Amino acid sequence: MMVVKKHPFHMVDMSPWPLSTSIGALVMTTGLVKWFNQFNINLLIIGLLITVISSFQWWRDISRESTYQGLHTKKVLSGMKLGMVLFIISEVFFFLSFFWAFFHSSLSPSVELGMQWPPMGIQPFNPMQIPLLNTIILLSSGVSVTYTHHSILEKTMTHSKKSLMLTVILGLYFSCLQALEYWEAPFSMADSVYGSTFFMATGFHGIHVIVGTTFLFISLIRLMKNHFSSYHHFGFEAAAWYWHFVDVVWLFLYINVYWWGA
Amino acid sequence: MNNILAKRSLFTSAKRMSSASKYVINPFPEQHEGGMKLWRNLTYFMAIPATIIMSINVYLHESSEHHDRPEFKPYEHLRIRNKRFPWGDGTRSLFHNPHTNPLPGGYEDE
Repeated sequence: MMVVKKHPFHMVDMSPWPLSTSIGALVMTTGLVKWFNQFNINLLIIGLLITVISSFQWWRDISRESTYQGLHTKKVLSGMKLGMVLFIISEVFFFLSFFWAFFHSSLSPSVELGMQWPPMGIQPFNPMQIPLLNTIILLSSGVSVTYTHHSILEKTMTHSKKSLMLTVILGLYFSCLQALEYWEAPFSMADSVYGSTFFMATGFHGIHVIVGTTFLFISLIRLMKNHFSSYHHFGFEAAAWYWHFVDVVWLFLYINVYWWGA
Repeated sequence: MNNILAKRSLFTSAKRMSSASKYVINPFPEQHEGGMKLWRNLTYFMAIPATIIMSINVYLHESSEHHDRPEFKPYEHLRIRNKRFPWGDGTRSLFHNPHTNPLPGGYEDE
């Protein structure tokens, strides 16, 4: 006899992934502390593996439940939209703390730094070179991902694939350029509070760029496998929202840390 | 046009009469106003050219101007080593570049 549910909610089948992902996160963070304090990296590696493998399976299951089982009703979708919005807001607060740290130290530079910002001996990046190029790259990727969205809405597959691929490529280009900047930098994280705030803020931003690029890339794969319709493509929308968030954080970084802070 | 309007109102009333679908449906299939062309043009005629031009600019700048690295001055607020880094011998940062990053005692390749 067929099961009929008379409500629009998704009562998810029993799944081990929430638990294993949580365990993975705990092992990973504990491993990070153990690495820093006892110089042993094993727990961190194990934690990373558990977290990544569990996340992959959790998200794969969500794709199966939505695309193949059709369990994502309007109600479910609206819940996920709210969830993504709240998550991005929490990330905004995360970055807010690093910007707070930056302004705390840079607005009133201490005597040990020479009462100037950048501190004595620090040679900052020229904001008109690679940092400006990076800004243009991220802004361009924001334009191309919007092109992708409209082409999904208008059911033009070729345009969607091309523009999403372009967006991913721009994301990778940004990451490569930042890696080059990090390698060429005349200052490190240990170079006064300037180095600390610079690399914490741009470093976490870089991690978010990598995460965002991965999310977009997964969306591209799903797009190519025809998971999305012209009116139901939340996986892609969530990736695009996250990407715009990453772009906005960079703009704040560029203006305050790279430009004003130089 | 009239046909579309008629279809639309028929659909809407039909939707109201039957129990509303809990699945995402597209009530107005041809509604979306061709924003794709605008964003396509912005991408290919503004975003990509700007990226390419700036890339060339940066490449030329990087390959021409090579200022000497700053003289090493043993400032106390720089090259802080309160705790060793958890890799290698613990004296080098993660993206350590021997040419541009001096150790607390000075440049390595001097």
